Amino acid sequence: MTMREEIEAAAARYPDRRSAIMPALMIAQKEHGHLPGPVLEDVAEILGVERVWVYELVTFYTLFHTEPIGRFHLQLCDNVSCMLCGSEALLKHLETTLRIKKGETTADGVFTLSTVECLGACEMAPVMQVGDDYHGNLDNARLDALLESFRAAERVASVERAHPPSPGE
Amino acid sequence: MFEPVLLRNVDVPDGHLLSTYQVGGGYQALTKALGEYTPDEIVELVKESNLRGRGGAGFPTGMKWSFVPKAAGKPKYLCCNADEGEPGTFKDRIIMERDPHQLIEGLAVSAYAIGAETAYVYIRGEYVTAIRRMEQAIAQAHENGYLGTGILGSNFKFMVHIHRGAGAYICGEETAMLESLEGKRAQPRLKPPFPAVAGLYASPTVINNVETLACVPHIVMRGSAWFRGIGPDRSPGPKLYCVSGQVRKPGLYELPMGISLRELVEEYAGGPLPGRKIKAVIPGGVSAPVIPESDLEVGMDFDSLAAAGSMLGSAGVVVIDDSTCMVKIATRIIEFFHHESCGKCTPCREGLNWTVKVLRRIEAGEGETGDLEQLEMLCKGIFGNTFCALGDGAAMGLRAALKHFREEFVAHIEERRCPFH
Amino acid sequence: MVKVTIDEQTLEVEAGSTVLAAAERLGIEIPTFCYWKRLPPLASCRMCLVEIEGLRRLQPACATVAADGMAVRTNTPLIEETRASMLDMLLANHPLDCPICDKGGECELQDMVMAYGPGESRFRDPKRVFHSKDIRLSPVIIMNVNRCIQCQRCVRMCEEVVGAVALGTVEKGMDTAVTGFEGSLASCDQCGNCIEVCPVGALMSFPYRYRARPWDLAETDTICPHCGTGCQLTVGARKGEFMRVRSDWEHGVNCETLCVRGRFGLDFIEGRDRIKRPMIRRDGALTPVSWEEAGEFLRQRLAAVEGRAAGGLISPRLPNEVLYQFQKLMRTVFRTNNVDCSSRWSTPLDILAPLVASFYSRGALEQVIGNDCVLVVGGNVTEENPVTEYLLRDAARRRDTGLLMLSARPSRLDADARAVLRVQPGGEAQSLAAVVAALAAVADEGLPGDIPAKTPSSAAGANDALDRLVVMLKEGRNVTVLANVDLLRSPLAREMLQQLGNLLQLLRLLGKEPSMQFLFDRANQMGAWDMGVLPGVLPGLGPVADEATRTKFERSWGAEIPCKPGADVDAMLELCENGRMGVLYVVGSDPMMSYPDREFVERALGAASLLIVQEAFFTDTAGLADVVLPAAGYGEESGTFTNNEGRIQALRKFREPPFDARSNLAIFDFIAALREQPLQLSASAAVFDEITRLVSAYEGLTWEGLGGDGAFTRSAPRPWAGAPFAPPPPTRVTDVLQLITGNCLFHNGYVSERSQTLNSVADDPFIEMSARDAARLSLSDGDQVLVRSARGELTAKLKVNKRFPDGLVFVPENYRALRLNSLMRRGEYPCPVEIRACAKAASALEEDRV
Ligand SMILES: Cc1cc2nc3c(=O)[nH]c(=O)nc-3n(C[C@H](O)[C@H](O)[C@H](O)COP(=O)(O)O)c2cc1C
Ligand code: SF4
Ligand code: FES
Repeated sequence: MTMREEIEAAAARYPDRRSAIMPALMIAQKEHGHLPGPVLEDVAEILGVERVWVYELVTFYTLFHTEPIGRFHLQLCDNVSCMLCGSEALLKHLETTLRIKKGETTADGVFTLSTVECLGACEMAPVMQVGDDYHGNLDNARLDALLESFRAAERVASVERAHPPSPGE
Repeated sequence: MFEPVLLRNVDVPDGHLLSTYQVGGGYQALTKALGEYTPDEIVELVKESNLRGRGGAGFPTGMKWSFVPKAAGKPKYLCCNADEGEPGTFKDRIIMERDPHQLIEGLAVSAYAIGAETAYVYIRGEYVTAIRRMEQAIAQAHENGYLGTGILGSNFKFMVHIHRGAGAYICGEETAMLESLEGKRAQPRLKPPFPAVAGLYASPTVINNVETLACVPHIVMRGSAWFRGIGPDRSPGPKLYCVSGQVRKPGLYELPMGISLRELVEEYAGGPLPGRKIKAVIPGGVSAPVIPESDLEVGMDFDSLAAAGSMLGSAGVVVIDDSTCMVKIATRIIEFFHHESCGKCTPCREGLNWTVKVLRRIEAGEGETGDLEQLEMLCKGIFGNTFCALGDGAAMGLRAALKHFREEFVAHIEERRCPFH
Repeated sequence: MVKVTIDEQTLEVEAGSTVLAAAERLGIEIPTFCYWKRLPPLASCRMCLVEIEGLRRLQPACATVAADGMAVRTNTPLIEETRASMLDMLLANHPLDCPICDKGGECELQDMVMAYGPGESRFRDPKRVFHSKDIRLSPVIIMNVNRCIQCQRCVRMCEEVVGAVALGTVEKGMDTAVTGFEGSLASCDQCGNCIEVCPVGALMSFPYRYRARPWDLAETDTICPHCGTGCQLTVGARKGEFMRVRSDWEHGVNCETLCVRGRFGLDFIEGRDRIKRPMIRRDGALTPVSWEEAGEFLRQRLAAVEGRAAGGLISPRLPNEVLYQFQKLMRTVFRTNNVDCSSRWSTPLDILAPLVASFYSRGALEQVIGNDCVLVVGGNVTEENPVTEYLLRDAARRRDTGLLMLSARPSRLDADARAVLRVQPGGEAQSLAAVVAALAAVADEGLPGDIPAKTPSSAAGANDALDRLVVMLKEGRNVTVLANVDLLRSPLAREMLQQLGNLLQLLRLLGKEPSMQFLFDRANQMGAWDMGVLPGVLPGLGPVADEATRTKFERSWGAEIPCKPGADVDAMLELCENGRMGVLYVVGSDPMMSYPDREFVERALGAASLLIVQEAFFTDTAGLADVVLPAAGYGEESGTFTNNEGRIQALRKFREPPFDARSNLAIFDFIAALREQPLQLSASAAVFDEITRLVSAYEGLTWEGLGGDGAFTRSAPRPWAGAPFAPPPPTRVTDVLQLITGNCLFHNGYVSERSQTLNSVADDPFIEMSARDAARLSLSDGDQVLVRSARGELTAKLKVNKRFPDGLVFVPENYRALRLNSLMRRGEYPCPVEIRACAKAASALEEDRV
């Protein structure tokens, strides 16, 4: 499905197309990685809604990004349960290992480090979300292993980006 | 040992598949409801069961349903609150990931009761696995005739849609959730009109929590007396408790309502970490005022906790031991509310900003005499004056911390440092 | 009714009233920020919290509905403390830069802190700073985010009242900020209503920025000079220099709202082409002279044309007193009924006068559109009468009024309508006939006797929109019809008015008590008609041919009035062209710019023996004159306007005419004196008195009685006589593009182009057409295109409008440089045109292909 078709399918679930702005932004973000102005205009145009409505939502909700972010977005929970289980130390560890502060992206664009509010997985605190996945019961060693696996995945992906498979393959 | 009801499939492999659910008697409640009860009778049944909302406020579910106007006209909507943003809470996620059909059956029976043909399940955006599992389950249920038109040979027609949240705690507040569903910034709405009369798209709407809806099929199958027989009569039923923090066995526990907090934390969840003593417990997510160790005998139900000056809330039980600074906990909690304030009303938006600034100062050892009075003044200005309950939760929590652990705050100011460092 | 007690005083209020409204009735003041009368309550600022007996928490008075037996307290220590606390919190992050804030001295936050604030703030942490610099959201709107207190009045105003949805709110919590898409208001209406409702100095007017302090301004309440809605506004001037415009939520049809033209378009009075001195044509060129010299010149030239035909054309933007006096001058001094008040169309008076007499409702628009069914015929209210549109939107959204639209040109209001009947350009008369026929058919049994049988059926085919519209009309309890006066441009104007009459009469028979008002695009068009600036009627719209009517005026004026109806604008121009016009006297009007067929107008005006132009600005028409007389402009002459509602309002001057300009009335005296036939009563107040004596709709009105809201002229509805009119001949459906014109949002007529501010926000001259037509012609938005008619051509930028129906082309009449009238042919409207890419662009295309 094209982005437009996916958005149309989402819109069909609601009696009012304005309701589909959030799902449409999710779809557009998956497509574009982040949501710059022209993409917001596209979304508004496809749904036939006011542009400023789209702009309001993209800035209100934290899962939407108007600026580019790293390919792996490390979202470490620092709310109470995770804090009680040591998330502060984990944050320091990540900051030293990646040599960035929270809120920043590594120079190679691979990692963005953020702290987030409670992820709703306190039974496995401390927790970090990366992409779609939760990683729980973290300590420094597990974090290191995780980072290594992301780097490995990134190496594979960058090779693929450099040599895209030809259509015949 | 309490026989799990809501969690009975949770540890079963492939608990999220329709086949597993069917083996355990799945969708029999829907069959029974459609075959043997009128919608009004289901509402009555749920009323008799004394089921109270598991989302936080504990409002009687049957009564909420009965506010929906009977008259045809505008479509009616059922919304499931699966935003689960209250720190310390993870029960709804586990139900949706591991036993999604239980929720779908609950939705179908409830929709039948209130006359809704459409439900939206508002799932917080981070819960990607839960969303996938729910989508799969909806598709399966649809293919097998539990959703769609002419469900189980009746003329009941019903469809469930997922609405994915995008990261805003306030969406858990039911009217903010409706705004969000309508594609607006999630800010609470004025009440009245109440959602049951004019909610989503100005149509009659019922909003219930995941766990609340999951109870409904069991009430249909086993009767209201069975449900009322579990725990206190005015606040009964099986209940999911989310235990986390500085405790040996964090996890999700299903136990009767009214079980003592001490029993939950010390026996089921294994008590404090080795060499530690419990200092305090937050019983119902960070909106619920903290309870000092000395008061842990309190029963975990809506009325007992309210009498003890706290609340059951989302039953997110956060255990804090003696190694932890309460000023830091209080600061982190107010930072959370400040970050999540929608910005609509003055006391919440401005008051919490001010409060955070004062707390951070105190925590950093830069507090001054008079700061505790300033905090109390701010709590007074916020509590009861905000538009929705978010601000109340923040002020109540801070008040409790100031009340039970005042000496820790004083120590920070007098020693000009954190005594725990 | 419910009984409530507030601070121990008990009163009865209507069910549904809020505590705030009840308190206001008792004179008990409750402070508010987010509350705004016109908007649904938000209850977010929490300033209005009050105690209600039996409730644990304080409740917002603005949103709490008074219940029977409710006991409210607004003056307890707890409430005082809470108010102080809310203000303390608001001030915590407020910059307190009052000395350099434009709002200083008229700021609600300042006032509120004085009245209810804490003695001293206990806040001592660093304040939040969003942006150190103010953000220029648009050419006219500038925002200081730090000062915003989040009452959301601006955003709600923009969406709910104006319907522009340009402003929005971004981020959340403490970072919440009001702004436009991507931080700009490029696509907004620029009406500045957001500025007006901002309680603090967050949203500010850029043109007014740092220009004055409120206490240095001399403020004058007056009326907007632009469209016929007739908004009240307050001009702030310093030593005669125009500074700004405010609106006032307590007064006028508009209350606090204005459109961009009213709020930002008054600086046209500072236009550079002001006529400074009288001018006479000497050796073919216009030469500045003194009033005496001009007088001498005129005396001779007037004598030379004595006994030949005379005619007068005056602008419907001038005050009633000027208009009245002008027709009197023409009728008594020049002894002619050749007078008219529009330079764009001729009015089919035979049908217009009875229509107005039978159905025109002189009453508040607010009430007229409170009827449960409102049909808007023609035009584009959104762009032509924006403030009227705000009221219509409010009625549709909050008062459940069924809004029905019937027009060729789409408008934003269509989105709020229950039925939209898009008609062929120029096909309004026919569509109205179809509505009449269908309504007569469905309402069969509701009609007495043989009416349905007698109602001619219509050739126009049925469709869904028509059905829906007719059902709504049938089911409506009371129906209002608002007719855009632009329909009078059409050669089918007579038929259009006839069908309008048929419809109104049918509605009357069905018991719908129909009300009708015109949507005039000129400020005093209604007044111009009422003042009898028409060839066939005297003031009060009585026929000049009627002896009794004539006698009344003759007696009062002490002069004879010709009994034969005179020539209208078209006939006068024809008289000129045929060399039969002795003197044509044009006041404030510019037919060279606006009457169809510029070449013809130029020929005609050139052929008049004597052309007198009395004007504030140097127009194209003035360029052809033999004598040019500098007149007072807007704001330099007091008087009254009668708006679309039939509301007569005081127009107050805020400065003296500059240079050698004189008031229009003084110039009439001057002219009359040259003919040794002085006019009686030339002071504005005296003319007003005469009007109130001689024009029955105006009887009994007094200048003092106009107050802040004006007063309504009276209608005495007369029965509508005669059989239904036959439907008009079917319009030929062609696939030729049809050009229509009218006002665009940012301009009104062709005077507003002198406003620098409007020019800074308005689009460049443009041509609007449908996306399909554009695609068919391989044109895209923003292309420079050429429009060609049988008469001429023009070029402008293409604006593709998705809502436009195919076949329709719209070019605003407001751009003088376009000389739109050079495309038009007299008696033909809409104007068939061809459109293609501009030659330059086209050749570039060719090159591409090569
Ligand atoms: C700030 C705030 C956050 C809330 N968050 C949630 C939530 O995440 N999940 C939930 O079910 N209810 C939440 N609630 C409670 C809901 O407003 C509502 O009471 C509940 O969804 C009703 O369902 P129930 O009757 O089944 O409990 C929240 C309330 C407030 C004031
Ligand atoms: S004015 Fe009224 S009440 Fe209003 S918030 Fe503001 S809240 Fe209220
Ligand atoms: S929760 Fe939004 S401001 Fe109160």
